[in-house]
Amino acid sequence: MAEVHVIGQIMGATGFSESSLFCKWGIHTGAAWKLLSGVREGQTQVDTPQVGDMAYWSHPIDLHFATKGLQGWPRLHLQVWSQDSFGRCQLAGYGFCHVPSSPGTHQLDCPTWRPLGSWREQLARAFVGGGPQLLHGDAVYSGADRYRLHTAAGGTVHLELGLLLRHFDRYGVEC
Amino acid sequence: MAAAGPSVFLLMVNGQVESAQGLEEGISQITSKSQDVRRALVWNFPIDVTFKSTNPYGWPQIVLSVYGPDVFGNDVVRGYGAVHVPFSPGRHKRTIPMFVPESTSKLQKFTSWFMGRRPEYTDPKVVAQGEGREVTRVRSQGFVTLLFNVVTKDMRKLGYDTGPPDTQRASGPSPPQGLPQ
Repeated sequence: MAEVHVIGQIMGATGFSESSLFCKWGIHTGAAWKLLSGVREGQTQVDTPQVGDMAYWSHPIDLHFATKGLQGWPRLHLQVWSQDSFGRCQLAGYGFCHVPSSPGTHQLDCPTWRPLGSWREQLARAFVGGGPQLLHGDAVYSGADRYRLHTAAGGTVHLELGLLLRHFDRYGVEC
Repeated sequence: MAAAGPSVFLLMVNGQVESAQGLEEGISQITSKSQDVRRALVWNFPIDVTFKSTNPYGWPQIVLSVYGPDVFGNDVVRGYGAVHVPFSPGRHKRTIPMFVPESTSKLQKFTSWFMGRRPEYTDPKVVAQGEGREVTRVRSQGFVTLLFNVVTKDMRKLGYDTGPPDTQRASGPSPPQGLPQ
């Protein structure tokens, strides 16, 4: 079986209007993939940047997959939330990116979006906070049923992921 | 009879902590900001370590904790940061952001400033793990630059493909202009 190691960090995020941000992340793979070691999902710390506008998380990702097929290459999905001084959390954006398929270290910039509601909900979000969220998180990384969504852009999440592939040449796969 | 293939690969890392604050453990000298316009903090601390493993899971990370005196003279933590040692052979430069845990309430913030006992991690290795960080609030301030030269042995023989060697590539966020590195 071929093996894939994803070793890297969720560095941080820029471009969000709120400043205290954290990120919930998860990896979704197809049926042919099996997670041998590592945690499939997690949540970063809440960071308030002192200089500049980039919130830094430096959250380590270390995953070891074994796979029998190329279908369902791992996808990393992210939810960025902001936390205010009272401890209330508000959604800042959803985003996803595929884990790179070539070995080596990659810098990834993952753009995010957040669902817009009706004008009433947008007004409420501006004054009170809160706002619509997705009921099923898989709309973030799958293409089905996206046409119903009306969204606005959020900021960008920056990741540095390193890929280590094993035995891919044995199966004739070129990456 | 064919010779048995290697079952272990070696990773040798040497380099230096160029500026900022990271044998498997070490403590650097105390440095002050330079008087020139760069206002740089330089440690130039050497790192020379070799690891051996059968599995890349748990790839080594270098964890840095930076301490400094506050206005009363107590040593307080100024930042934590961590980065994975690069796995492709070659020369790599990494600039990592540092963050410090934040007090939960304003009263606690004032008390800790006054008493010189700021919130800090009991075990700095928490910074290298993902679990248990979701309940922490931190403030990010400052950057540290590290330089790595990485040599590996037998990774290709065991079937691992580490990708093209990306030598001399400065990666990671660049600090905002005009700030000490």
